[in-house]
Amino acid sequence: MTAPIYEVEGLVIDLYTPTVSVRAVDGAGFHVAPGETLAIVGESGSGKTVMTLGPLGLLPEGVAVDLRGTARADGKDILAMSPSDLSRLRGGFFGVIFQDPMSALNPMLKIGPQLAEQARRYAGLSAEAARKEAVSLLARSGIPDPEDRYGRYPHELSGGMLQRAMIALALAARPRVLIADEPTTALDATVQAQILALIRQIQKEDGIAVILITHDIGAVSVLADRVAVLYAGQVAEEGSAVDVLTAPVHPYTRGLLASVPDFRSDNASGTKEIPGIPPNQARLEPGCRFVDRCDRAIPACRSRRPRLQAVAKGTVPHRVACPVVIAAEGIVTHD
Amino acid sequence: MQRMFMRRTGLALLLMLAATALTFWLVTAAPGNVAALIAERAAGAGADGAMIQKIADDLGLNDPLPVRYVRWLGDALTGDFGVSIRTGKPMAEEFSARIPMTLTLLAGGGVLALTLSLVMGIAGAASNGGVVDRALHGMALVGASTPNFFVAALLVIVFSVWLGWVPTFGVSGFTSWLMPWFTIALFPASVLARVVRVNLQDTMSRPFATTGFAKGLTRRAVLLREALPNIAIPYMTTFGAQFTLMIIGAIVVERVFGLAGVGSFFIEAIRFRDFIGMQAILTLFVVFFVSVNLFVDLLAMLADPRLRRPRKA
Repeated sequence: MTAPIYEVEGLVIDLYTPTVSVRAVDGAGFHVAPGETLAIVGESGSGKTVMTLGPLGLLPEGVAVDLRGTARADGKDILAMSPSDLSRLRGGFFGVIFQDPMSALNPMLKIGPQLAEQARRYAGLSAEAARKEAVSLLARSGIPDPEDRYGRYPHELSGGMLQRAMIALALAARPRVLIADEPTTALDATVQAQILALIRQIQKEDGIAVILITHDIGAVSVLADRVAVLYAGQVAEEGSAVDVLTAPVHPYTRGLLASVPDFRSDNASGTKEIPGIPPNQARLEPGCRFVDRCDRAIPACRSRRPRLQAVAKGTVPHRVACPVVIAAEGIVTHD
Repeated sequence: MQRMFMRRTGLALLLMLAATALTFWLVTAAPGNVAALIAERAAGAGADGAMIQKIADDLGLNDPLPVRYVRWLGDALTGDFGVSIRTGKPMAEEFSARIPMTLTLLAGGGVLALTLSLVMGIAGAASNGGVVDRALHGMALVGASTPNFFVAALLVIVFSVWLGWVPTFGVSGFTSWLMPWFTIALFPASVLARVVRVNLQDTMSRPFATTGFAKGLTRRAVLLREALPNIAIPYMTTFGAQFTLMIIGAIVVERVFGLAGVGSFFIEAIRFRDFIGMQAILTLFVVFFVSVNLFVDLLAMLADPRLRRPRKA
C-alpha cells in the first residue's frame, strides 16, 4: 500500500455559536493514498464535511471552530501551518468540488478566468498558456464549446454544466487530492451518473487521491476503493468498499445498507429504515453513539466507548467499532 | 435590458410630473396670498384691495389650480421658473448662482461618504469581530445618531474657534469646504459603512466565499475580490437613497456655514412666503431625487451580470 497523502488522526472538532457548542467530530480519522478513492459515508450532520474540510480551514465563516488532533498533507503538519502556507496548500495541493454549483460559484465572476488564474498561480503557466489550459480543462470536463463558455458567467450555464465547471476549477491547480463534497446531491439523476463517471475518469487518468463525501451508496459502489462510515462524529466502520458493502458488521452500516432500495428485487418494501434519530451532539454521552437506535445494544454499550477493531486481515484492514456484534457472531479480530 | 432602461426612464418622468403637481398644490394651499405680498412690496402700506385684485388677475391666480399647474409646467419646461418674490430676480438667475454651490457641497460630501463608508466597512469586515470592528461599529452608531446641526456646531468650536485651522463660515478656498463636507457626509457615511459591513459578513458566509478560500485565496483576497463585487447592488441602491437625502442635510449645513446655495435659499423662501421660489426649489429637489435614483438603479443593473446578460432562453 502506498503511503497516505492526506491523513487525519484523532480529530476532535467543536463548533460554537454564541448559544450552543456541538462536538461535530469526536476522535475520528481517515487517510487516502495517491490513486485511491476513499468514500466517507454518513447521514446529514454526521460530520463528514467538517472532518474532511475542517483541518483545511474550509468551514463557513460565522461559526467558531475548536480543532484538535493531527492532520498531515504529504507528511506536513497542516494544523501547525501559517495562514498563508495553508492558503497555498488549499489552492494547490487540494481541489474541492462542492455540493451545489449554483451557489458555490461566484455569480459576479466569469468562469474561465478563474480557472486560468489557478493554472497560472499553481501550475506556473504563463498567461497565454493558462488560458489555453483553462479552455482544455473545460473541454476535458465535458463542457461543449469551451471557448465560448470561458467568458460566461455562472447564471448562463445549467446546473450540470456548472458542476463540470466546478470540477475543472478544482483541477486547474493540478491538485494531488481531490475532495468531492456530495458532488451530485444537487443535480438531476441523469446528470449525477455523468458527473460520477467524470470524476472516475479524472482519477484514473491523473492518479490523484479522491475523497468522496456522500450519503449515496450507489455513488460509493461506483467509485470507492475504500469506505469509512461516519456516525455522529465517530468512525463506525471502515475497510475496502467490497468488504464494507457486502459484509458489513456494524449495526449502523447494516442499517444504512438495508435502507437503500434495491431496484432489481420486485419488492420495493424490502427497504428498512433505521428507527430513531442521531443523538444530540451538544450533549456528550460516554458510550456508543448509536446505542439508542441499535437493535443489538446491551447495557454495557451505554458506558463504554467502542474502539475500532480489525475483523479481517489483508492489504486493506476492515475495522469495526462494535464489540457486541464481533463477540456475538464469533468474528475473529486481529490487533 | 434596453426595454428595462426605457421603462425605468418613463416611470421616472411620470414620477417627476406627479411630484411637481403635488408640491404645486401644497405650496399654493399654504396660508398667505401672493398677490398681497407683491402689492405690499410695490406700494408698501398703500396697497389696497383693488390693487391686489388686479395683480391676482394679471398673474392668473384666480384661474383653477389645474390650469395654473399646466401653465407653470409649460414655463418650467422652457426654463422659466418665474421671478422670486423675495429677491425680485428670475429664479433661473438664482439657480445659476446657487446650484454650483450646492453641487460642490453634495459632490464633496458624496465622495467623502463613499470613501469613508467603504474604508470603514471593509476594515470592519477585515477585522471580523476584533477591536477595529467593534470600534468602527461604535463610531458608525454615534455618526448615525448625531444631528447635523450639532456636528456642525462642534466642528466650528473645535476647528475654527479653538484651533483656528479653518474659517467659521463662507467660501474661501478648499479648507472652508472641509467642515461642511464632513458634516453632511457623517450620517450617510455611518449608515453606508454598516451596509458594507453587514453585507460583507453575509457574503463571506456564502458557499462561493468558501470556494474562494478553496482556490487558495487569503481572507483579504476573498473579501476584496470575491465578496466586495457581490455587495455592489445593495450598496449602490442605499448610496443613491442616502445621497439624495443629503439635499435635506444641505438645507441645515448651508445655513450654519453661510453657503449661498439652494438649501439656504429654500429656508429664506419659506420665511418670506416666496411661493414662486419655494416651488422652483422643490421642483429642483424632485428632479434631483428622481434622477439620482434612476441613475443608481441603472448603474446597479450594469454591475450585475445576471441583469446585464440575462440567461438565454
